[in-house]
Amino acid sequence: MLTGAFFLLAGCATGPSLENRGSVTAPPGDSRHLVVGSAGFTESDLLAQMYALLLKQAGYKTSMITVANRELYEPALESGQIDVVPEYAATFADWLNAKTHGADARPVGSPDLGTTMTALRALATPRGLTVLDPGRAVDQNAFAVSAAYAREHHLKTLGDLGRSGLPVRLAAGDECVQRPYCEPGLKKTYGIDVVAVDPKGVGTTQAKQAVRSGRDQMVLTTTTDATLDEFGLVLLDDDKHLQNADYIVPVVNRSRAGGEGVTKALGKLNDVLTTADLASLNRQVDSWRRLPEDVARTYLRDKGLLT
Amino acid sequence: MTAPPDDCLARNEWICGEYLSTRRHILLDAVAQHLQLTAVSVLFGLAVAVPLAVLARRWGLAAGPVLAATTVLYTVPSLAMFSLLLPVYGLSAALVVAGLVLYSLTLLVRNILAGLRAVPEETRQAARGMGYGPVRLLLTVELPLALPAGMAGLRIATVSAVSLVTVGAIVGFGGLGNLIYAGMNTYFKAQVLTASVLCVVIAVAADLLLLAVQRLMTPWTRAGRG
Repeated sequence: MLTGAFFLLAGCATGPSLENRGSVTAPPGDSRHLVVGSAGFTESDLLAQMYALLLKQAGYKTSMITVANRELYEPALESGQIDVVPEYAATFADWLNAKTHGADARPVGSPDLGTTMTALRALATPRGLTVLDPGRAVDQNAFAVSAAYAREHHLKTLGDLGRSGLPVRLAAGDECVQRPYCEPGLKKTYGIDVVAVDPKGVGTTQAKQAVRSGRDQMVLTTTTDATLDEFGLVLLDDDKHLQNADYIVPVVNRSRAGGEGVTKALGKLNDVLTTADLASLNRQVDSWRRLPEDVARTYLRDKGLLT
Repeated sequence: MTAPPDDCLARNEWICGEYLSTRRHILLDAVAQHLQLTAVSVLFGLAVAVPLAVLARRWGLAAGPVLAATTVLYTVPSLAMFSLLLPVYGLSAALVVAGLVLYSLTLLVRNILAGLRAVPEETRQAARGMGYGPVRLLLTVELPLALPAGMAGLRIATVSAVSLVTVGAIVGFGGLGNLIYAGMNTYFKAQVLTASVLCVVIAVAADLLLLAVQRLMTPWTRAGRG
């Protein structure tokens, strides 16, 4: 708790000061040396590596920095110590919203991509940040059940599960009981009979084992989770769009990397990278223990984005 | 979908030769960064701690506040320390060094001060009687006699800096901590174990090195026994 407060303090103390407010309204810059930030988890590392490789190909000099969390790297992005980071549209919009309007502000991230992007850009632009266009890859929260359970009860979507009236024990993070996308949403939007939330964490090994063993029936994980096969799990479709539009978007510091060159270089990934691709890349790093840089380079070469 | 490769990396074994061979450069870079951060922090810490301890010794009134301030600094959680220093230093190695210097002060100031206080009054009076001024007294009598206690502090401060550097991983400058942190997130056993073992090796090596330096600098402590 105390640490959290310190992070917030540190966060508030930075950002564009009055003297350099100009960076917000100045024309977008095109610095030749760019620092790409990663948030330290596998998917973020992979995306950051791909950004760095694409930027290098476009003639930029790049370096990478790994920063543990958003509370630390977002202020650095505003001040230009970091120039590019991979972000998740809805999550980042809500985070910026909480930073701007306080922790109790009404969430602005929504299941609709357009609405989310409008809200996100409205929050990011005054801070000197430019949110580039989203591509096809989405890393949303998702719910999985065991393949046998799905077969037995003819489940393909969360709607099916709601109509089946089956009692469901859900393995998820302990915050699930409060979050609108989790227990409350499952009950209200889908009419799923969630009898208990088993606090085993989001997509952790223990949570998936609990579903495989039949202790729990459903697990909260993400759409780019590549280990579902190993546990004999299948995702249920979010057919009523309960989950927020967490599309992957590059966020850049406008005065240093807001120019055409960066937008064009990173935009190449938009039509190519899919959610399934990302899951497969995650698996190569998390299960096979390949180096994120090698995995990213091989992928871009295979897709013809890198020569 | 290609099949997963069958090697100790994919099997996630604790000890993995392939890990060492494929990431040799990463490991070497991490060790170099770790050594650099530790050495720079301890040297800066020493440069600040010696004057503070001398000051506290000369003016008794200063001793209380100096000790209190450095002790309070030691109680700040390391995560919070780095966050508080972030607006000043930004995301840089200087941030980690600044944090480590502040932490090393408690150990160094206390030990150096204890060493200075342990210099017998008779010794000081004898030196004064031989016409030593305050500066010469400090440099040629008091500080050498305070060396054993000071070196003990330096050794503890160095070993603790080796382990604290790892926390720098939250801002990307943590030496081997970067690898431990990333490895813990993905249950990468070989990475966590290798980086942790290297940390311990660095700590032990640094401690032994300082012990050797201390023996070289204080020949009289051995002559007395021999």
